[in-house]
Amino acid sequence: MTVESAPATTHAEPVMGTVFSFTAVPGAMPAAAVRAAIAAACRILHRCGEVFSTWDPASPVSRFRRGEAALGQMPPEFAGVLAECRAAKEASGGWFDPWAMPGGFDPTGLVKGWAAARALDELRGAGLPGALVNGGGDVAAFGSPPDGHRWRVGIRHPWRPGALACVVEADGAVATSGPYERGAHLIDPATGRPASRAASATVTGPHLAMADALATGVAVGGDEALAVVAGLDGYAAYLIRPDGSEADTGGIAFVR
Amino acid sequence: MKRAGWYVVAGAAAGFAGVLGVHGLGTAPAAALGQLKPGGPGASAAPSAPSSAPANGSAVQPGSSGPARKATGTVEQYGYGELSVAVTVHGNQITGVSVPLLRTAEPYSQQLAQQVIPMLRAEVLAVHSARIDGVSGATYTSAAYAQSIQSALDKLHVG
Repeated sequence: MTVESAPATTHAEPVMGTVFSFTAVPGAMPAAAVRAAIAAACRILHRCGEVFSTWDPASPVSRFRRGEAALGQMPPEFAGVLAECRAAKEASGGWFDPWAMPGGFDPTGLVKGWAAARALDELRGAGLPGALVNGGGDVAAFGSPPDGHRWRVGIRHPWRPGALACVVEADGAVATSGPYERGAHLIDPATGRPASRAASATVTGPHLAMADALATGVAVGGDEALAVVAGLDGYAAYLIRPDGSEADTGGIAFVR
Repeated sequence: MKRAGWYVVAGAAAGFAGVLGVHGLGTAPAAALGQLKPGGPGASAAPSAPSSAPANGSAVQPGSSGPARKATGTVEQYGYGELSVAVTVHGNQITGVSVPLLRTAEPYSQQLAQQVIPMLRAEVLAVHSARIDGVSGATYTSAAYAQSIQSALDKLHVG
């Protein structure tokens, strides 16, 4: 039982084409310091947005895609994302493959989760006892909410914007992917064409960049990709198929 | 393995709009919604009240902390008319749901909506015990965020 019950500080930051939501547990930290930590985290997000925007033709990632910039000329963030992309491609059994995207290397399926995790690291480093960052639907958290329980994350229902399919308890990352928000943007690495064998795919685990990439993979590959995640240490997946039926790997703490 | 079915949670008016416009959505878990469909039991509903239906479901819970806060969603077109939804929160619990505005094109739609809304409210209040700190979903645009449950949570400082 925790005695700390100061309310959480929340903040919503429009960045990277979506909105990042912050829930910071202040503990004994002064309000001004909490705000400063959130502001620093937001600066990281805006920086990631500038480096990795595939919509901005002048961004470093766009120049890299066109072959105008070599790896050595890329900002330091780029190498980190590249390493994550390699690891996620291997872990997903190839269902997530930024190198198979039309128009060249495209880390978009992982960058938002990676950026949210870095923003969360900033809050942790500032000394906050707990925080949750939601990067446009991909969630990372540490510590616990002010009431001392575990963080609870609703999984949006794929066909009802105001409804949840379920609620899960999480200590690390929860990422969800699906075709319902932005249409056929999910590309099958095997064909280079849009494909989705899931209405919604959620992956939980310790690291949000990996969970984000795996969720993209399961959204593309459906049951076959779910089986790949089942073999990964620390990661679990929950799938809603296009017909509304569900499957999961086990290992997700569903609330009732 | 139908775990949770159709929670309708926060003040996202779009959610209510979606539930009221039940045609052609989803498949399996429609059981919970079958009763809401046009032509269902609502057909023999009581005569309709005035077109504005301020049905307030507010109920303060003993033990809930902090002052009550209320957020009202934008007016949403839902196919048969327009409505807006308000949510009251005590501490981090949803303690009330109301529909401050309901306008429908035809009396039948209004009759149906007034049957459905109390059921939705009961669902919301039953689900409020499932406190949530965030919503995971496919990446939303900034515009879609404005209608999302996450946006309602951010406004209400639930957490």
